[in-house]
Amino acid sequence: MTADPRAAADRRTFIPLDPSLAPPGTRAFRDAGGIPADQWHADQNGETLVPTHCCFCGVQCGMYLRVDRGGKVFGVEPRNHDINRMRLCPKGINAYQQVNHPDRLTAPLMRRSRDEEFREVSWEEALDFTVSEVKRIQQTYGNDAFGLLGGASLFSEKTYLVGKFARVALKSRHVDYNGRLCMVSAAGANKLAFGIDRAGNPFSDILLTDCLLIAGSNVGECFPVMTQYVWGARDRGATLIVVDPRETAIARTADIHVALKPGTDSAFFTSVLNVVIEEGLTDETFLADHATGWEELKAKAAEYPPSRAAAICGIPAEQIVQVARAFARAPKAMAWHARGIEHHSQGVENCLSVINLCTATGHIGKPGAGYGTITGQGNGQGGREHGQKSDLLPGGRSIMNEEHRRQICEIWGIEESELPPAGTSMMEMVWQMQRREIRGLIGICNNPFVSLPNYRVVKEGYDTTEFHAQFDFFLSETAANAHVVFPVTTWAEDEGVMANAEARVVKHNKAQDPPPGVRTDTWVICELARRLGAGDKFDFPDSRSVFDELRVASAGTVNDYYGITYERLEETGGIAWPCPTTDHPGTPRLFEDGKTYHPDGRIHLQVVEWHPPMDPYDDEHPMSLTTGRTVAHFLSGNQTRRLGALVEQTPRPWAEIHPSHGFRNGEPVRVVTRRGSEVFPALVTEAIRPDTVFVPYHWPVPTAANALTIDALDPRSKIPEYKVCACRIEHAERIDEVPAPPVAPGHVAYPETQVSRTDPLPPTAPQGRGTSERS
Amino acid sequence: MTEPSEASAVAEPPDPGDPPATPPPPTGPRSVTTRATLAGVAVSALLIVAIVLGSRMLRNFDSALLPYAVATVFLAFGVAYRYTVWISAPGARRLFKQGWRSLFSMENFRRAPTALPRMIATYLGFQKFLGARSHARWAAHQLIFWGCILAALITFPLTWGWFTFTSGTGSGPGYEMRIWGFKILGFDSLNLLGWLMFHGLDIAAVLVIPGASYFLWRRMKDRGAATGQRFAYDLVPLIALIVISVTGLLLTFSSVFLHGGGYQFLAILHMVSVVFTLIYIPFGKFFHIVQRPAAVGMQLFKYTGRKDDEVFACRRCEEPIDTGPYVENLRGTMRDLRLDFDSWAEYCPRCKRVLRGSAYLSHVKKGFK
Amino acid sequence: MMGRTIFIDPGRCIGCQACVSACRECDSHRGKSMIHLDYTDEGRSVASLPTVCMHCEDPVAPCAEVCPADAILVTADGVVQQADTTRCIGCSNCVNACPFGVPKIDLQAKLQMKCNLCYDRTAYGLAPMCATVCPTGALFYGTVEELQAERPGVQVADTFVFGETEVRTGVAMVVPAERVQWPVPGGLPVVEINGKDVRR
Repeated sequence: MTADPRAAADRRTFIPLDPSLAPPGTRAFRDAGGIPADQWHADQNGETLVPTHCCFCGVQCGMYLRVDRGGKVFGVEPRNHDINRMRLCPKGINAYQQVNHPDRLTAPLMRRSRDEEFREVSWEEALDFTVSEVKRIQQTYGNDAFGLLGGASLFSEKTYLVGKFARVALKSRHVDYNGRLCMVSAAGANKLAFGIDRAGNPFSDILLTDCLLIAGSNVGECFPVMTQYVWGARDRGATLIVVDPRETAIARTADIHVALKPGTDSAFFTSVLNVVIEEGLTDETFLADHATGWEELKAKAAEYPPSRAAAICGIPAEQIVQVARAFARAPKAMAWHARGIEHHSQGVENCLSVINLCTATGHIGKPGAGYGTITGQGNGQGGREHGQKSDLLPGGRSIMNEEHRRQICEIWGIEESELPPAGTSMMEMVWQMQRREIRGLIGICNNPFVSLPNYRVVKEGYDTTEFHAQFDFFLSETAANAHVVFPVTTWAEDEGVMANAEARVVKHNKAQDPPPGVRTDTWVICELARRLGAGDKFDFPDSRSVFDELRVASAGTVNDYYGITYERLEETGGIAWPCPTTDHPGTPRLFEDGKTYHPDGRIHLQVVEWHPPMDPYDDEHPMSLTTGRTVAHFLSGNQTRRLGALVEQTPRPWAEIHPSHGFRNGEPVRVVTRRGSEVFPALVTEAIRPDTVFVPYHWPVPTAANALTIDALDPRSKIPEYKVCACRIEHAERIDEVPAPPVAPGHVAYPETQVSRTDPLPPTAPQGRGTSERS
Repeated sequence: MTEPSEASAVAEPPDPGDPPATPPPPTGPRSVTTRATLAGVAVSALLIVAIVLGSRMLRNFDSALLPYAVATVFLAFGVAYRYTVWISAPGARRLFKQGWRSLFSMENFRRAPTALPRMIATYLGFQKFLGARSHARWAAHQLIFWGCILAALITFPLTWGWFTFTSGTGSGPGYEMRIWGFKILGFDSLNLLGWLMFHGLDIAAVLVIPGASYFLWRRMKDRGAATGQRFAYDLVPLIALIVISVTGLLLTFSSVFLHGGGYQFLAILHMVSVVFTLIYIPFGKFFHIVQRPAAVGMQLFKYTGRKDDEVFACRRCEEPIDTGPYVENLRGTMRDLRLDFDSWAEYCPRCKRVLRGSAYLSHVKKGFK
Repeated sequence: MMGRTIFIDPGRCIGCQACVSACRECDSHRGKSMIHLDYTDEGRSVASLPTVCMHCEDPVAPCAEVCPADAILVTADGVVQQADTTRCIGCSNCVNACPFGVPKIDLQAKLQMKCNLCYDRTAYGLAPMCATVCPTGALFYGTVEELQAERPGVQVADTFVFGETEVRTGVAMVVPAERVQWPVPGGLPVVEINGKDVRR
């Protein structure tokens, strides 16, 4: 029974008894993906719906998980939560398939050296070994020789525990998290300008705006459900301005699409400010009442006339004028940005240049007017608030501030001398690992082998560590290189809170019990702490008890969670912090009274000077490589590369190039940077600048965009410069194949989900393969 | 990849019998009804004649089974009527013709003499395609299928008086079985063969009950199956099968263990359910029993096309659509139905959508305005 | 003319394929996605087109008309159902006759399958899965009035033209107000194939 006529090369001699033919796209249902397709028949009765939120991006769409009578999650149902109003993206719809996925880790894995194979061991053995290694390394090389890396897809309770565990149980200064790779530039800029680190307005304000500027955010793919707000604004007549080197789904129909050269954002925005000033479109009253540093900024903006910026950015000068007029003349205008302007060695400056523009035009703190960053990870916002960042303590307190240190020591019940000083950022920690300054590491909820830039350096750093443990529910590429792997819960097997891109704290509910052998991250952290002798500080039976301590620890700070309780979250569907008391309604919109969180209550405008990206262009490397996400996959892909439907949608990475380079669609193209080279199938499209190459980054080596990217950091936020590095493209013989996702010894990655992984062709479009390309 | 384009070159319409210029034959509702009625009457009459002759001028006819025999006559009328109506619709008529044409093509028979028997065995007998839908459904359907085949083979000739079981000694144990009066075999009702002969219907019931119960259970439970299900169409046939089988078994139970207690009532209930089912066959779900063999014709038609390497490729993307004769046949059907976009059938569904999408982009709107 | 139905606006579509994944979650055909998502401007832009069954009203369901087994039923409310499992013989007539390229076929199972407007949901007043989750409203389920309340000034068209033939459908497309009188082009006659002009 062959359905594929091409398979029957010898058709003249043999015709199958069932001779049916059907055109492509009509004959197969491969997009089903296989999990858990065999048991997929829904019963008429005995099903419960557990309200929760998606585990993926910073929009935090509400969803129901369908739980069968046996207590197993088996499906998803849209939920009319006011963030997403029943809408979901393909990742969200398929998220539930992770929960009972055959690739799940269900026993701790351990080995004494990287030469050995992993073997499944008891929790006792894995915990004991880990603790003995921590003690050995710390006793030999000092407490700071052991590091901890957290993640921003953890519930806020767990991120709080990561910070507390590093400082109180490990007593090490070296703790950081993968939000460092995400939106720390925006965080830095927000702190500098406003004294508070969060988006100024809720999503719903987008519906009220007259002009929406989106910079460096492929909203249609990375935050698909947020698109409804963008389109909602346009339905009501708003102008849409998109700043992106690629013509993304939202840029395609935008009123103005500024396809600037990667790495030139601040020059563009400062030039827009220049035009705003030149044409007298500034809001002088607002500036006089609410801002400082305006004169200095004005002087700097004068250095960026449109002609200069046009040359830097590679765009027509008129477009800058057009954007300036549209944004400044709009009664209410709003700017949102994401990684596109943040992932730069001048990420903080880029964000500041947007803040400067909003402030100069008075578009701050009003319904329909304001500024925000769209966090990429589910808890990108909450994950940075409660102390897993190297320089922060719970409640957004600074670890350098004496007063803040004292407050936290009091809450934690430790001596101030015991509290370590500030540590270093994630990438810097990897460099320290390379230099043997950090000799042991525990990683929780991250996958730096795919997500950190310059893979060679990252691999070397991790390989140099004497001991490395990793928490995960699927064996990530990083975990596969560790000594100990702790199998922990997915988001649906524990409860906790996350804060979305609007700083709205939402509650995730537990939908099913973890599979046998799996423990919650909270349990593992507390158990390790107990064995390290800090058990009294880590007596947390569940998330709720952690949250209660977190509330107290954040009380009175800018990031005040004190008024937020699980009960209130369940009643309201989410509360935006600051929320100081249990009868406080939360603060969806900031700066409504024009007051910021600086002591003087003003917006501190910052002078921004553009500089070229850190990786210089030369004759060998004349083009820009930029990286990003595709709609079917999430971050390092450890979750989404195992979900059949998403693999079918986008089986592999590609190099997106302009037709002017003479490549045919699907041809192998070698992308060469100073860090290395890899071969991808070419996706030839006019929707990208001719001088730019795009590669999505969700896949591991040898198809990892991050084997090519540069590990240059922003000096302030320490964010790596993912979004631009110098490269060239060449013809190549054959493409590099996507490896199967790692699994525990004795298993294979669930085959039905991996059918299309070796497809040599690029997807039809950046969003994936059309449905007819799947059979 | 080169095959389809090559093949499309040879895809000459092989069907001169149906030139597109000729108007479709008059198939107005009146004429179809008349023809169908005539067919029904003819087939019923033939059956009556066959009953009379087969039962040796009613000598072997068991008058107790009269209601059953009458029901089969109605069944014959219904099936013939419905079949004629069905086969008069352009889609079915054309495929019907093509199927027979493929079957009676001498050349075809020479080249692949085993194709048809193999298709009948895999398709109609073992129903491999049902296994692709679900293994459980395949198993349940096989139980019902073989159960019903067995029951029909036993009961139809019995009610028509074609079979007789007679015993020289009056009440056994030696019996002989006759068809149309001719002795086929003699057996002892006490040995295994005899037991099987006398309990054939019980075996059929035992096969049908679990099969039909599984389907009934599935229809109660599975949301996929329950979507759009209609009581009369989806549930009644299953209930009827179960009632027939259960009452049939109870008849045996009654005569063996209860000395005939309740036999009369059960017999009437059984008869009513059987008569109802027989009359229902042409009008409900059971009509697929009559329709399904047509699929073999369709398969043979495509098989012949493939054998001649007549694969038709999409005009735009050059991916194979189906065999050339099939596409030509479909276009004919569409023209019969006055679906005048029949040239569209030369494009694969994806290309149809893409062409429509780009027409929308260039002629209606690109984005919001 | 139109009650509650799906309205398609390719101009809003971001090609994310949430509809494709959501379709698979529908209980009436769990695990199988019936929706098509095509990138219609390949190599030039990321434009995309979702295709659900258009539920043709005039002529009533060409797929059902060409079906040799009477397997495709049209409900009283105009919903063209997917093939009846007991009748469908898997001949592909509907697949290739459908002017919109909608039906799919499982060759092994000899069974056609297609969008049935999520009959298990719409029958209970819920929106179909695809239109429920669509992040952009490119697929919208409701009445024209509800659509226009959300999107002031839009119009819908439910007539497509294929060459000389017009097909009126139960599912409609969103069109600009000035285009509402014209039928939506269905793609036939074909004017260009892969960049080559094929008009003779």
